[in-house]
Amino acid sequence: MIRLSLLQLRAQAITAAVAVSAFAVLLAATGPHLASMYAASGLHGCRPANCSQLASNFLQQVDSTGPYATVSPLSIALIAFTPAVIGLFWGAPLIARELETGTFDLAWSQSVTRTRWLAVKLAVGGLAAMTITEALSLLFTWWAAPLNRAVGQGGSGNSLAMNQFNPLAFATHGITPLGYAAFAFALGVTVGAVIRHTGPAMAVTLAIFAAVQIAMPLWIRPNLLPASHTTSTITDDTPSSLRRTDSPHIITYTLAAGGLPGQPEAWIQSSGATDTKGHPVSTVLPSACSAARGSGSSEDLAKCLTSQGIRLGVTYQPASRYWPLQGAETGIFLVLSLVLIGYCFRRISRLP
Amino acid sequence: MSAVIETSGLGRQYRRKWALRDCTLAIPEGHVVGLVGPNGAGKTTLLRLAAGMLAPTCGAITVLGDRPGAGPAELAQIGFVAQDTPVYVRMTVADHLRLGGWLNPGWDDALARQRIGQLGLDSKQRAGSLSGGQRAQLALTLALAKRPGLLILDEPLASLDPLARREFLQVLMEAVAAQGLSVVLSSHLVADLQRVCDYLIVLVASRVQIAGEVSDLLDSHHRLSGPLREPRSLPASQKVITESHTDKQSRLLIRTDEPVLDPSWTVKPISLEDLVLAYMSPVGNNAPAKPQALRVVS
Repeated sequence: MIRLSLLQLRAQAITAAVAVSAFAVLLAATGPHLASMYAASGLHGCRPANCSQLASNFLQQVDSTGPYATVSPLSIALIAFTPAVIGLFWGAPLIARELETGTFDLAWSQSVTRTRWLAVKLAVGGLAAMTITEALSLLFTWWAAPLNRAVGQGGSGNSLAMNQFNPLAFATHGITPLGYAAFAFALGVTVGAVIRHTGPAMAVTLAIFAAVQIAMPLWIRPNLLPASHTTSTITDDTPSSLRRTDSPHIITYTLAAGGLPGQPEAWIQSSGATDTKGHPVSTVLPSACSAARGSGSSEDLAKCLTSQGIRLGVTYQPASRYWPLQGAETGIFLVLSLVLIGYCFRRISRLP
Repeated sequence: MSAVIETSGLGRQYRRKWALRDCTLAIPEGHVVGLVGPNGAGKTTLLRLAAGMLAPTCGAITVLGDRPGAGPAELAQIGFVAQDTPVYVRMTVADHLRLGGWLNPGWDDALARQRIGQLGLDSKQRAGSLSGGQRAQLALTLALAKRPGLLILDEPLASLDPLARREFLQVLMEAVAAQGLSVVLSSHLVADLQRVCDYLIVLVASRVQIAGEVSDLLDSHHRLSGPLREPRSLPASQKVITESHTDKQSRLLIRTDEPVLDPSWTVKPISLEDLVLAYMSPVGNNAPAKPQALRVVS
């Protein structure tokens, strides 16, 4: 049965192997140069005082050199879309196409129970899906290591400076690709078994998976682990907490944390004005600070707000929560996958 | 005589509609059994239940003494060729044989290869490019090479041209002779069934109208024609299956195990096709109170 599954996956497996190889070649061709740029940047063994500046310079240099500004988002898109593609083209047809073409009569009348047929098909397809997605992720993690190290050293200021908790980064690094791949595959199989037609099953699989990919970073991931809170004095430093935006008729100040001092890899979930005890306060500017605002000086305004007892409150996940969050999210997807698979096993004995 | 398929009160419901209901029958071993009946009689459902492809809604079915499809051993006992003889269009003929070898512990690879060779199929050809007849032959090869005790064929001839039908049945008969298996096949084509079947079951609305060895059925059914006569005046041993009357004449189809002695009747044998049609007619085997023209169901 394993050999049959491999035989029937042959075409898809060749496509996948070609795609992974092409990706590996692209990264292998550009990765070493990226690493040499990092080595030449002086970031290795930099002193804390100037690390962050060097890191930003390095990122700036990478951004303006060669194909890196394209390779990075392209790779992230590829890793993010791979589970969906697998769910659509491997998962959805797995049962649906057998039902559609009538070949289930052939498959399930051999001396193999349909339970075993499904178990092997799911195991082979699921493992292949997870292996391919994780392989892409690991390749990219290796390639992007200099960039991620620079971000860890405080580099910021362009699109390559992606925090590890950035929704795009989090779902394409670490072990989460395993969870997404398993879930997309199981989802495709289940939807196919319910709808019984490959085309509509693919459409529904894509819709559900896209919704989950959006819902996870927006509503679920922030609530997986209790967040930490901290309050700090309002400054106009970088990363600025009080940001001034000039437009022709009005000057706007925004109070928000761009980062936590000394914790460039933390995940800032929300930030805003609080009192000294950390309770949120009104965002209406106190009347006492109207003059400071009128002066147009961010520094004056920051000082005034501080004197009024207003602090910047930040809700965040420290960098140390990265792996617990990765584990929790992957676990959720694996459990969801098992639930879907369990349903498939119940359903297949009642098909067609 | 032990039964290859035995059912009691067997029923299968699809959503609200019963495809087969309260079906009780026993199909004896060692025959090539033809299952005939009008569309919607439940033939396909019965065969799929017997092949373990469907689970019954109610009632019981045993095939070769076991619940069909209960496990690998039970599946290995049954060769099943479904309606429209599905094959994997993208896989080659050779791939199908490999599939058979991988999935069936009793697989007879030599037999499969020999049969493919005899059929003149190119083993590198994709199954999707085979003709309807070749596809059916490939599906039959898969079913035979797993060396089943019972072969179930659901309308295997429906989509084949006359030549392909003849070849298919020829191959089937050779295999039956060589492997000594029991066969149950359904078909609308009574003439074709007559060539291969030695046992016949007529199924109408889930009910067995008649079942028996073809030779016995033909021997015990007679067409009578003679002067107008009330069917009830016949001897008790003669059962009227169908009747038609004109002002002067009566034509009856009767079943009896005894010779027809009444000299006023002209007695003629009946063809299997007419016999099947007679039992498929809604009048059935209950003699009606009122004389009625013979209805021919196609």
